[in-house]
Amino acid sequence: MFPIYKKELQSFFYTPFAYAITALFMLVFSYTFATAIAGMTSSDTLMFSFTEVFYNVTIYFIFLIPILTMRTFADERKFGTEVLLMTSPVSVLKIVIGKFLANMTVFIFMLAGTLVFPIITAINGEVVISQLICAYIGIFSWGAMFIALGMLISSFVESSILAAIIGELVMFGVLFLDDFSNTSFISNYPKLQSALYSFAAQPRFAYFSQGFVRLSDLVFFGSAIIVFLAWTYISIEKRRWNRG
Amino acid sequence: MITIENLTKFYGKNRAVNDISFTIKDNEILGFLGPNGAGKSTTMNMIAGYLPMSDGKVTINGVDIAAEPVKAKMDIGYLPEIPPVYPDMKVKEYLDFCAGLKSIKGKKKKDEIERVMTLLKVKDVQNKLIRNLSKGYKQRVGFAQALLGNPKFLILDEPTVGLDPNQVVEVRNIIKDLKKEHSVIFSSHILSEVSAVCDRVVIINKGDIRAIDTIENLEKPLRDTRILHVKVAGSKATAAAVIGVTKGVKEITEVVDEGNNITSFTVQLDGDADEIRDTLIAECLKNQVSILEIYADKPDLEKVFVELINRPVKKTSLKDLMDEYITEEKSDDDKAEEEKEED
Repeated sequence: MFPIYKKELQSFFYTPFAYAITALFMLVFSYTFATAIAGMTSSDTLMFSFTEVFYNVTIYFIFLIPILTMRTFADERKFGTEVLLMTSPVSVLKIVIGKFLANMTVFIFMLAGTLVFPIITAINGEVVISQLICAYIGIFSWGAMFIALGMLISSFVESSILAAIIGELVMFGVLFLDDFSNTSFISNYPKLQSALYSFAAQPRFAYFSQGFVRLSDLVFFGSAIIVFLAWTYISIEKRRWNRG
Repeated sequence: MITIENLTKFYGKNRAVNDISFTIKDNEILGFLGPNGAGKSTTMNMIAGYLPMSDGKVTINGVDIAAEPVKAKMDIGYLPEIPPVYPDMKVKEYLDFCAGLKSIKGKKKKDEIERVMTLLKVKDVQNKLIRNLSKGYKQRVGFAQALLGNPKFLILDEPTVGLDPNQVVEVRNIIKDLKKEHSVIFSSHILSEVSAVCDRVVIINKGDIRAIDTIENLEKPLRDTRILHVKVAGSKATAAAVIGVTKGVKEITEVVDEGNNITSFTVQLDGDADEIRDTLIAECLKNQVSILEIYADKPDLEKVFVELINRPVKKTSLKDLMDEYITEEKSDDDKAEEEKEED
């Protein structure tokens, strides 16, 4: 598992990839941050909690995460290196987990960059630390789920560009699932509405960004990650069985 | 020892490998020979544990590769048809990664990487990005990867494709050397290469085994022992007269004037060439006809190959016959599509 993790990290950090995607993320984060402070009234300036910033930044995030995960399996297939991994004495599950951890490391690297904003705010004003921590826990679990989803999509296709485009479409759908379930059309079917709503990630993420860490939300994200990773594993195995 | 029992692979309805069984003994080089699309790569992928088999069993040193893949794969080094290299990695980085995959650690890892780089002569490019290497170098880097950790069994799928003639000879010598410690399965569609390197050959076509034997044994039934080729210097007429009346010679079937007073005769004999040859040499010496070359007819290796792969397969049961019938019934379009997919 560790060699795969290391190799993936090398491919992210020995190339401009990780730095470019982090820079892009910082750009959209600072834009969201700037919009948030621009819209503040004087009474808000005493305490700043970043909750809204993190919630608003997710719309940009779903365009970046597929770019991060698109190469995970699609490139292995394209270069024929999948054979190398599959014929080496490493189980497929370990390959999946190794790659997931590498993607998560880049994700953490991206998040670490955003720490600069709370730090500067704390120096010149006041930050609600507890809410900030909640927001970070939230965006971390939220991102982990989308990374697992991105990897799953990458395991379906052979072209990384296709993986990115499909990933963006699917993630866009997941992001607006709660809004979709609240439309008047869906509310005609209350059972369907509640079923769709229970799969929506955004309301759960909203709790985190409001400063609540609820066990049920953690379980939701945790189980979604496990489901997507297990599905990735099954998808890779299934492709081998069906090949040709 | 690798045992392959009743290995079968279906791609959809198309049968790519059909119930093949053979074994690879220790310290043996087994050639795997067949035309393009014969099922060589599919079989090798199954032996190496990349593709699951539709039916049958592969055991590596007694370990079933389907039941205990991780344990079985420890003993295998595999070079697929397309070398599995990452274009964005440097050669040394890549080999380091591969050694890691095979759980080789610490000083041993360093030594192993050095060893395979020296063996395959890729040391001079160790700090180059693989994407910038030529096909031959990529092939050798892929080969080096297979040798890491000194696995007992090596599966090499067309290892000499894309190499220049010099490198081909080098790689063949490496493979011959590997025999001391390893068993090698080595596929090719070039018969002369297989006959130069391998102890035994398995010939397959369209997923069926056509023959398993040593090259000599395979050639034997096709060798015509009643023909001698004689090349002489001097007068054509004298030589023809002497050869024509020698006991055991039936007739001279072909006379080729090669210039410089040298003539080649192809001689049809009454009996076995080995016995008549000596008489013929004695007669020629007596009559002052100098012989430059004399040899019994050798079958053309390519002819042997063509003969063997086109040999009809014996159908053992009604089920086989029915299967064949069903496969043949499929439209040509289907087949073309499947072939494309397989490529």
